[in-house]
Amino acid sequence: MQGIFPMIRCEGVHKRFGSLEVLRGVTFDVARGEVVVMAGPSGSGKSTLLRCINHLEKVNQGRIYVDGQPVGYREVKGKFVEKGEREVARMRASIGMVFQRFNLFPHLTALGNVIDAPIHVRKMSRTEGRRAGRAMLEKVGLSDKLDAYPAQLSGGQQQRVAIARALAMEPKVMLFDEPTSALDPELVGEVLEVMKSLAREGMTMIVVTHEMGFAREVADRVMLIDEGVVVEEGPPAQFFTNPRHERTKLFLSKIL
Amino acid sequence: MSIPLPSLDFDPSVVWRFLFNSVILEGARTTIIVAILAQALGLFLGLLSALMRMSKNPLLSVPANFYVWFFRGTPLLIQLLFWYNGVPQLFDNPDITHQLTSFRVAIFALGVNEGAYMTEIVRAGIESVEAGQMDAAKSLGMTSGKAMRRIILPQALRVVLPPTGNEFIAMLKNSSLCFAIALVELSNAARSIYSTNLNVLELLAVASIWYLVMTTAFSLLQAELEARLAVGLRERPRTLFGRMTEAFGTGRTRFHD
Repeated sequence: MQGIFPMIRCEGVHKRFGSLEVLRGVTFDVARGEVVVMAGPSGSGKSTLLRCINHLEKVNQGRIYVDGQPVGYREVKGKFVEKGEREVARMRASIGMVFQRFNLFPHLTALGNVIDAPIHVRKMSRTEGRRAGRAMLEKVGLSDKLDAYPAQLSGGQQQRVAIARALAMEPKVMLFDEPTSALDPELVGEVLEVMKSLAREGMTMIVVTHEMGFAREVADRVMLIDEGVVVEEGPPAQFFTNPRHERTKLFLSKIL
Repeated sequence: MSIPLPSLDFDPSVVWRFLFNSVILEGARTTIIVAILAQALGLFLGLLSALMRMSKNPLLSVPANFYVWFFRGTPLLIQLLFWYNGVPQLFDNPDITHQLTSFRVAIFALGVNEGAYMTEIVRAGIESVEAGQMDAAKSLGMTSGKAMRRIILPQALRVVLPPTGNEFIAMLKNSSLCFAIALVELSNAARSIYSTNLNVLELLAVASIWYLVMTTAFSLLQAELEARLAVGLRERPRTLFGRMTEAFGTGRTRFHD
């Protein structure tokens, strides 16, 4: 199915928490190697949408495909049944995710954080895992922090370790959930630099962020999500200078 | 009315003579072994029942809730008597009764009772780990079981260890209840000696000294363990004195911010 299918496809995704409908029919595609920035007011459902893409949240309705494979569900005679835990885990292993609060494992060193899943999920040998882990930390500019524990690192360094940790699984896709929102302003740049170089290497990325400078510079497409639907999408030039929807204009007037 | 004066009939040389008495030493050894094995059983049962209790499946959570409710809600003494005297009546089979030695029943009964308390301690430890840790582990392709073993439990252990230390110290002392099932542990050993030589105070002192030696040694061991588990979270006191003050709860813990 490679080549025919987009890397990520969401079809009419609905997600409810109790009576609150957070996603109300979200549909979009992300092509191979494309960088999509999702913007929108807080509570608009962006983070929930990302969490649905790797099945950390179960969708109530609609389908999500990553690399042609349905996420979390399997089609059996036209009906969708939830996949077993192992199958879901295998799928998640190829979808990298970076969290707002980093979520590094505090009891492991930077290198330990990066190599744990390659060794214990991908079953890489220890030597191979360590070699790959070092290379990943070097890539994010932290080759001098291999043995540091998360508590000994700045927020920017922690987030770069978290990116290295996700990349070590050699994902097909990277999902960024407000990766710089918890950072002191002077530390935002170093994280965005790593993300930019990742984008240049052709990684397929969805980035939920309020960093509109990053969106303008790096995104292939910008999307505005509001009240659980995609309000507007387009290349950054059009999105920022010539938005079609009133809600986009209102959002941009608040954020820029 | 005259106030009776104490005779001050306390002979320290008797304390010294019985401190290393073979019956006392054997009793102390039994106390340590029973306490360690019972605590280990309690930790295992506590972990199992905590995981069951947190399960969404009522087939797992209901039995675990019942276990905690029952064994926390009945006296330990009655539980000991039940396993030692009651169970043989249930089976009425000399082979089984023969297997139920004081030593085995003590470990089993104390361990099962301890497991009920450890359930709550382990559950609190697991719940103290941020939800984001499970998200991160799952996003890396771990199943929830693997995430629990590799990511959640090692972090929960740091929270579980200090109250478990308290539990173990209580266990060392509570094991003296096993005199009711004829186990010759430290207190019972002391009692058996003073019931013949009538040096009650001296032998109570001997037993207390050994209890203090055991609990002190264990507090130091616990501080050492906690320092090792705290790796990455806080600095470890460098001096023995620093570690001792921490062991006895007076040291200040320094956290990275």
